[in-house]
Amino acid sequence: MNVSESTVVLGIETSCDETAAALVMGGHDVLSSVVSTQVDLHAQYGGVVPEIASRAHLDLLNPVVARAIVEAGVEPERIDAVACTIGPGLVGALLVGVSAAKALALTWHVPFVGVNHMEAHLYAAFLEDRSLEMPLVVLLVSGGHTMLIEMRGHGSYRLLGQTIDDAAGEAFDKVARFLGLGYPGGPAIDQEATRGDPTAIAFPRAMLNDGLDFSFSGLKTSVVNYVRKNPDVSAADVAASFQAAVVDVLVTKARRAAVAVGARGLVLGGGVAANSLLRERFVAAGEADSIPVFIPSRAMCTDNAAMIAAVGWHRLGSDGPTPLDVGALPNLRLAFDD
Amino acid sequence: MLILGIETATEQVSVAIGGHEGVLAMFQVCRGRRHAETLIPAIEFVCKQADIEMSEFGAVAVDIGLGLFTGMRVGLAAAKAIAQALRVPMMGISSLDLLAFPLRQSGREVAAVIDARKGELFFAFYRPVPGGVQRLGEPRCGSVDDLIGELMARGHDRVCVGDGALRYRDQIAAAVNCDFAEQYLAHPSAAPLVQLAHARALREEWVNPWEIQPLYLRAPDAQINWSTRQSATKGGV
Ligand SMILES: [Zn+2]
Repeated sequence: MNVSESTVVLGIETSCDETAAALVMGGHDVLSSVVSTQVDLHAQYGGVVPEIASRAHLDLLNPVVARAIVEAGVEPERIDAVACTIGPGLVGALLVGVSAAKALALTWHVPFVGVNHMEAHLYAAFLEDRSLEMPLVVLLVSGGHTMLIEMRGHGSYRLLGQTIDDAAGEAFDKVARFLGLGYPGGPAIDQEATRGDPTAIAFPRAMLNDGLDFSFSGLKTSVVNYVRKNPDVSAADVAASFQAAVVDVLVTKARRAAVAVGARGLVLGGGVAANSLLRERFVAAGEADSIPVFIPSRAMCTDNAAMIAAVGWHRLGSDGPTPLDVGALPNLRLAFDD
Repeated sequence: MLILGIETATEQVSVAIGGHEGVLAMFQVCRGRRHAETLIPAIEFVCKQADIEMSEFGAVAVDIGLGLFTGMRVGLAAAKAIAQALRVPMMGISSLDLLAFPLRQSGREVAAVIDARKGELFFAFYRPVPGGVQRLGEPRCGSVDDLIGELMARGHDRVCVGDGALRYRDQIAAAVNCDFAEQYLAHPSAAPLVQLAHARALREEWVNPWEIQPLYLRAPDAQINWSTRQSATKGGV
């Protein structure tokens, strides 16, 4: 299907605990991006509770969509397509967005585009820097994923490495909970670490010199064992040393991947990309290796619907509309070239 | 006024178009693909066959539960989105009301019973009144024994309707004297939904899409289990 610089896509995202809607023109021009986070609803449970998330999405989606349209300053008639995350994610949460998005597309007589949430994270960088040249190496780090992906062209990806156990964000959540720092763990550890010494405890860097895969469950166990043996240790030192170990591994492997594929740029994405130390070390690595580094703003790293609309624009152009009988695909994977 | 009715509170997906003449078109299926896959193509199909454009709807009616949460939200999310896109008002009607309404001429009290799974039932009692039914008391969530207890306490000659009543038919029939409605009435349907909604529309009893609130009557499992889970995981990671 023909898409152009003036094609406006409404993006909708409800895969986890953010209810989001955005209007994006031409695949890159963000007219509006509204995110309503449910983090406070889940904080007391120490993690996202699926049924609570689904109920909240249903309450929040209409006002979030309405606000995205108003903030974009366009009439709804100007919307040319509706794109929505169809997976991966929590099935009940996904279903709210998918049902509403398909209903909007049907009512407005515009195409519907089902979007892979992981692919959307890869596109977040293009919303802020259109000069990025491929091949790119993208380090995607979130509560559910830790992946190194080579982006060879639009819609063309190769998996270079991934976690063999916990995702990096999961390790942050678990360690934060263990240290009593609260939920979500990423920002809590980031904050606590500013007051600690990152060299205080030498936590292991699992598989550091070994390929491009990651492992974080051993690190979490080391933290638990260390604190049990040294109950008087400062939580700030533990947080800082733990964070340093995670970031060390992530940055080392991303640099190695970039060299291995001759990348013309290194990009960070996913919720953990909001971590201050990771951002700092990523920039330093780019300078040291003379490779352009791009780190999206925190708002574009975490879940949002602008990235969904951006992918929607590209996929509508390459693959056309998604049939209206598609459902939610909670275990959807990114399609790799080989 | 044309009304689009959407009903997904049980395993059935049901879509109907209603007008002042009554039900103009409907689609209903209770097997096959899941709600999210079926619903939107069903709306498209019904509109096309009835030669009605989406833009002709003056209101959207939806079943707000009680029912199975995930499927129910598929219908609610779609109905709210359509009403928002068309800028038209909505009517939310309870699934138990939809079960009881077709039995308004039975001349007896009606027990509407929906299978809530996990060994539980959603139920309420109705009595026929001119032109419809009137609910007696609040809907409840309870076991089949709770339902039988209520049936015995009420002591009238009664007809039971709904997938919950059919699932526990033998148990209920062994304990109390009552009739069971036909199997084809066992799921709430979009046909009575648009009929009831039309009556409400005449009285302008409608709300905005963001005011539609589903009936859950059961807290999320996490809230129920929280105290036990918290003590179990204390100190763990
Ligand atoms: Zn994400």
